[in-house]
Amino acid sequence: MILLESNNYIIQTTLAEKLVKPSSLDVQFVDFDGVRFHLSTPERKTCLLLSMSIKCWDELVKYGVDNVLRREYGDRLQAAAEPEYNVSLELDLEKFPPAGEEREALVRSISLLKRNALAAPFELAFETQKQLAAGGSGQGDLLALHYRDEEAIYVQASSDRVTVIFSTVFREETDRIFGKVFLQEFVDARRLSTIQSAPQVLYTTRDPPLELRHLPNLAQSEDVGYVTFILFPRHFANPSVAESTISHIQNFRDYLHYHIKCSKAYMHSRMRHRVSEFQKVLNRAKTEVAVVDRKTVSGRSLVR
Amino acid sequence: MSNVLRPYLAAVRSTLTAALTLQDFSSQIVERHNKPEVEVGGSKEVLLQPMTISRNENERVLIEASVNSIRLSIKIKQADEIERILCHKFTRFMMQRAESFIVLRRKPVKGYDISFLITNNHTDTMLKHKIVDFIIQFMEEVDKEISEMKLSLNARARVVAESYLQAFNS
Repeated sequence: MILLESNNYIIQTTLAEKLVKPSSLDVQFVDFDGVRFHLSTPERKTCLLLSMSIKCWDELVKYGVDNVLRREYGDRLQAAAEPEYNVSLELDLEKFPPAGEEREALVRSISLLKRNALAAPFELAFETQKQLAAGGSGQGDLLALHYRDEEAIYVQASSDRVTVIFSTVFREETDRIFGKVFLQEFVDARRLSTIQSAPQVLYTTRDPPLELRHLPNLAQSEDVGYVTFILFPRHFANPSVAESTISHIQNFRDYLHYHIKCSKAYMHSRMRHRVSEFQKVLNRAKTEVAVVDRKTVSGRSLVR
Repeated sequence: MSNVLRPYLAAVRSTLTAALTLQDFSSQIVERHNKPEVEVGGSKEVLLQPMTISRNENERVLIEASVNSIRLSIKIKQADEIERILCHKFTRFMMQRAESFIVLRRKPVKGYDISFLITNNHTDTMLKHKIVDFIIQFMEEVDKEISEMKLSLNARARVVAESYLQAFNS
C-alpha cells in the first residue's frame, strides 16, 4: 500500500453494510487533517445523516465549496448542517439505486466527501487558469487553505500553469531530516524518463517561496518546509484527469508524513534486530557456572 | 572486514586486551566501598594514562584504564546529518538496554557516542577475549549498519517519490 486512498473507508463499508441491513447507528470517526465525521440515524433506520467538520470550512465557502458539493450530491446536501459540524448529507437508503454498479458509484462518491470539499479551491484555480490562458497573461488570486493548525495549502493560477504550495511542519528533528531526504527524491525523481510528464516539484526549508513572501505571519523556523508543485494544463486538460490530479495532490502531505513514519518504524525494527544480535555475541562471553548438585550426609539434595 | 579498517581494529584489540588486566580493589578512601576506580577518580595512583586510538578526526576510541576497571568510549563516523541522526538513534536504542548489555554504560563520555565500562567483576564472570571480541564486532558492524540504514532510507524515498509522481501520468 504505497499510495493512500482519498475516499473514507469507514463511510464506504458502513454504508454498504447498512444498505443490506438497515439498523440504527450513531458513530463518530475521523479522517486525515483533523476532519471529523458523524454518521447517525436521527429519525428512522433507513435515513442516515452524515456530517463532516473540517477546519478550513470558512475558506472553502469562499472558494465555492457549496457549488461543488451541490453538483456532487444534489438534494442530499442539507441546507443547514448539524450543530458542531460544517456540512451534512441526508442519505435516504430507500431512495438509493438498486444493488449494482450505480449504487457502488454513489456509495463511493459519498465516501469522497472530504476529497470533494477540499477540491473546491483546485477547481476554482483550474477555471481561473483557463480564463487567464484565454486572456494571455495575468495571475489569479492566491487561494490559501489552512487545513491544519500550522500547515496550509496555497493554490495560485497563472496564464500557463497552476502552482500548488504546501507548507508542512516537521515536529521532530528525525522527521525533519527524513523529510529532507524524501523531498530531495521528489525533486530528483523527475529526471527519470518515465515520469517526465509529472508536475515539477520544488522544495525549500525555512524560507517561503517567492509567491508567499508577501504573506504576513508565516512561520519561519528550521522545521518548516515548503513544497511547490507546478501543474501544467495537461494535468487538468479533461475532467477525469483533473479529478485524479486533485484527489492525488490533496493527499501529498499525508502521503509524505505517512512514509516518514513508515521508515522510522522500519529503522526501529532493524535496530531491534541488530541489538539482539549484539546481545547474542555478548552472551557468548559469559562462562557457564557449573551447578553441582550437593548432597547432605544422608544422601538427600541440599536445598538452601 | 575491509582492509582499511583492519589496522585500526587490530590496534584497538591489542590495546584493549593489554588494558584488561584487572583485579579486585577496594576503595582507599571510603571504607567497605568497592567501586570502579575509573568512574570514581578519587585516588590518582590507581588510574592509568588514558589512550586515544584514532583512525581520523571523526572516528576514535578512548581507553581509560585503572586498577579495577576500564572505560572504553567510541566515536562513530558521522559524515552527514542523516548518519548523525541514525547513529544517535542507534546508540540511544542500545543504551536504553544497558542492563542486558552488562558492560555498556548508560551515558557516553562527553565527546563520544557510546561508552563501555568493564570492571573486574565482568572479567571474573566472563571470558576476557570474548568481551574483546564483542567490542570489536560492535565497532565493525555499527558502521555497516548505519550506512545500510542510510541506503535503505534513500531507496525508500526514491520509490515513494517515483510512485507518487507516476500516478500523475495515469
